[in-house]
Amino acid sequence: MSKLSAGRKASCSKLSSWVEPSFGDLFSGPGLNSFRPKKGVSSGETESKSRKQVADKGGQRPSKRRAVPDPQGPLDSELSQGEQDEPWVDRHAPCSQADLAVHKKKIEEVENWLKAHLDIKPETKGGATLLLTGPSGCGKTATVRVLAQELGCRVQEWSNPLTTSEFKTEESFRDTFNPDSRFNGFLGVSQTAEFQEFLLRANKYGRLQMLGEGVTSGRKVVLVEDLPNQFYRQPACLHDILRRFVKMGRCPLIFIVSDCLSGSSSSRHLFPRDLQEELGVWNISFNPVAPTSMMKVLTRIVTQEAARSGGRVAVPDKAALDLLCTGSSGDIRSAINSLQFSCLTDCSLEASAWPGKKGKVLASLSRGVSRARSKSKSSKSSELQDCSQAIGGKDASLFLFRALGKILYCKRERCTSPEVPSLPAHLSEHQRDRLLVDPELVVEKSHMSGELFNLYLQQNYLEFFSDVEDVARASEYLSDSDFLTAEWSSRSTMQEYGSSVATRGMIHSNSARAHADSQASGGFRPLHKPHWLLVSKKYRENCQAAQCLFTSYCLTPLSLQTELLPYLAQLTNPMRNQAQIAFIQDVGCLPLRKYPGRLKLEALTDKDPGMLDEDSEEEGAGPVVPTPSDTTGSTPPTEDSAQPCSQGPGVTCQPASHSPPPPRLCWRTRKWS
Amino acid sequence: MSLWVDKYRPTLLGKLDYHKEQANQLKNLVQCGDFPHLLVYGPSGAGKKTRIMCLLRELYGPGVEKLRIEHQSITAPSKKKIEINSIASNYHLEVNASDAGNSDRVVIQELIKTVAQSQQIQSSTQREFKVVLLTEVDRLTKDAQHALRRTMEKYMSTCRLILCCNSTSKVIGPIRSRCLAVRVALPSTEEVCSVLTSVCRKEGLLLPGELAKRIAEKSGRNLRKALLMCEACRVQQYPFSADQDIPDTDWEVYLKETANAIVSQQSPQRLLEVRARLYELLTHCIPPEIIIKGLVAELLSNCDGHLKAEVAQAAAHYEHRLQLGNKAIYHLEAFVAKFMAVYKKFMEDGLDAMMI
Repeated sequence: MSKLSAGRKASCSKLSSWVEPSFGDLFSGPGLNSFRPKKGVSSGETESKSRKQVADKGGQRPSKRRAVPDPQGPLDSELSQGEQDEPWVDRHAPCSQADLAVHKKKIEEVENWLKAHLDIKPETKGGATLLLTGPSGCGKTATVRVLAQELGCRVQEWSNPLTTSEFKTEESFRDTFNPDSRFNGFLGVSQTAEFQEFLLRANKYGRLQMLGEGVTSGRKVVLVEDLPNQFYRQPACLHDILRRFVKMGRCPLIFIVSDCLSGSSSSRHLFPRDLQEELGVWNISFNPVAPTSMMKVLTRIVTQEAARSGGRVAVPDKAALDLLCTGSSGDIRSAINSLQFSCLTDCSLEASAWPGKKGKVLASLSRGVSRARSKSKSSKSSELQDCSQAIGGKDASLFLFRALGKILYCKRERCTSPEVPSLPAHLSEHQRDRLLVDPELVVEKSHMSGELFNLYLQQNYLEFFSDVEDVARASEYLSDSDFLTAEWSSRSTMQEYGSSVATRGMIHSNSARAHADSQASGGFRPLHKPHWLLVSKKYRENCQAAQCLFTSYCLTPLSLQTELLPYLAQLTNPMRNQAQIAFIQDVGCLPLRKYPGRLKLEALTDKDPGMLDEDSEEEGAGPVVPTPSDTTGSTPPTEDSAQPCSQGPGVTCQPASHSPPPPRLCWRTRKWS
Repeated sequence: MSLWVDKYRPTLLGKLDYHKEQANQLKNLVQCGDFPHLLVYGPSGAGKKTRIMCLLRELYGPGVEKLRIEHQSITAPSKKKIEINSIASNYHLEVNASDAGNSDRVVIQELIKTVAQSQQIQSSTQREFKVVLLTEVDRLTKDAQHALRRTMEKYMSTCRLILCCNSTSKVIGPIRSRCLAVRVALPSTEEVCSVLTSVCRKEGLLLPGELAKRIAEKSGRNLRKALLMCEACRVQQYPFSADQDIPDTDWEVYLKETANAIVSQQSPQRLLEVRARLYELLTHCIPPEIIIKGLVAELLSNCDGHLKAEVAQAAAHYEHRLQLGNKAIYHLEAFVAKFMAVYKKFMEDGLDAMMI
């Protein structure tokens, strides 16, 4: 590790000793012990592991040392106390491929990549980059560490420097706040610069040979999990650094980015697809941990812990484990954490004491439970489903793609029980089997506004319908839901109802999927992103541009758009400027006798977050008058050179490029006769 | 070279081609050099603007024809900047406040205030008031209309308002009662024909009477549209022949084809195609209300008498939704789907009846 970061770590340790006394009493109580190694609990195995590595390399970290007991030590009471403190995620961190809860194929994929890129011959220049994505707690970091260990290479990890790293001594830290010596403090280097430095050094230099260590192989991977914040704001920074690295790099670089649904700071933002292609970034996307493998891990941990503690650990039964499993929605880290919490002897929670809230459970959508339900229709499992989890429950979330699929494919369950009354004969066409999904829940979990979700539905529903009458009914429900959210003052309240009407209406009106057994037909259909946002934006922009360009005709927008523009397109009336000509070519003419190819269908992929430029849909946004800076008085040469006549009508229109007439400067005398 | 519509627009009240009696009345109105606030209404293409400009010219002389385009930006109390285009001469200011969307109230208040507060410099040679011409008053929000009513009273001494709209039904009562309402009706077919003929004569062209009549009918007596059509005919073919076909605008043709596509097949796939076509129309600046109106007209002419009532009812329903709702496509599509369902059912029933 670089000199710089070593110094940083040293000062960190200093700092922690400085901080510790104020929290001393917190650490004394046995009941609170599990909270002590805060770092470890909160950020799980990855962080603490890296700290461990750091600790044996750089400075000594007293606080950490206490949390890492000697596993071979005698089991006296004090140590077992200490042992209890250690988070189970750390203690049971996987150390072989078999322990990993990740799917075998994924491990294999990562392994192959590592194997292929670890030994880079000196003649092949350039560093390879791997991007691991997936929800948090699905074992991305664990996989890398385990594989690195097995392949015998070191993991060198970047962690964001603290601002306090500049302070060498306590005094200098205090000095910063002293107004007399303010010039001493904060001689910081930007995180970005440090990051670049780190990459360079990690790339160039091997590890120092410490005394007593065996000869280590020169193989290492650089792991970046904790990206400097600057990159989230300006991804271009990262891209530049990456480009340089790819040219110069000698060891593989692995980025781990957790998926997040908000989309703004996600991997897509940091690593756009074109960059991935440009730099040859290999992307492996992890899925949430499957319930079965998670169950296996949890059971293993429980048995180990039970054996070790000798009855001091309350062992949860299988049902409780099941609940933990489903509640964590594929996040193994949080599952283990909550398992540890629930196993504490002092405050162990009896399964019966768990509040039996009748709320709709997150679990109902989780694949694990639905499978369990279909396997054994025992009442027990459904009961289990109904009681929500007290600890460790994690808000499950669905990617848009799957959420849409749930509504559009609307899986149903054959109802066999005779007690369900069937509809009378004259209403029999409305008879539907029970739904396996809860539409409101799906919308909620898609983390989108109901309106936007409806737009996605509207774009895609037609492919799932075969009967026009059903379509008419479904489209009416969509229209209803739009009507419900029309009033802006009540929109926030009505949105949920609107989406409920739309989703349920759509599900019900699809009579081809009314019954569980009629659903075999279908198969995969691609989903697309809605056009409406684009279209309405274009509509407004074009109207705006028309207003700006043809102000001198003094017409109302309606007659301008429906009368003047279309006829101007047919007349040989010389226009005043190029922008007008281009606009008329584009907007005044329609591509007749052919189906439009203007709107490209943009497929919605597995992990795409929803579109976020929803605000463009805001009503009452003031008219966007183009900036007066780009005037047409001096028509840009590019437009001059472009032959307007050669522009086919199929050319995609770019209304924004039509610059408005020079607003203030033009005094135009216009004769009416 | 400007369009015929602009080139041959009369500028004097005495030279108007039709509604001569009304023109006379207007002339008498401004004779004494003053007039009340006016509310000029009537269908599109009837000549409202022409009459207003004639009136102003009568009032101020040829100076009103020196127009300039102004680009104003107004800061709302909420610090929001509103940009709006206006057309002005030294004597009057023309604004379409509904361009500003929801903040039209601010535009009305601020703009009229600035105009009204500046006194005319040479009141001996000029009138002591300026004129503010507000177009599309019926599209103003209720807020803006109430603001307008207050403004009208307050600045009566320094400015006159001429409001221009298509229908008074959306103008609030207080404004209607404060203005002198002037209705400009559509010209009759004969009047349109005579205007067309005289314009063509001035252009040195010979327009057959039959063609003139056909153009007049096709334009729906909208004089602006008629003149544009006539000019388009001229581009298409000259000398005119009585039976030459009058070119439609592209979007009308497109809409017609869309209607045909709906009638010829009713399936979700076809609806998908229709949706793409609707999007295409929208991106070409055709407002959704116009689309649904045109679509209904085409579809009604294509379907059986039994269906007409049902289709018209559905159209009215969804047009209403369109006005209330947010996203036009839902309602357009719902209407098309509804028509498809109704039409398909009707056809299938018809087939069944034939079988039996």
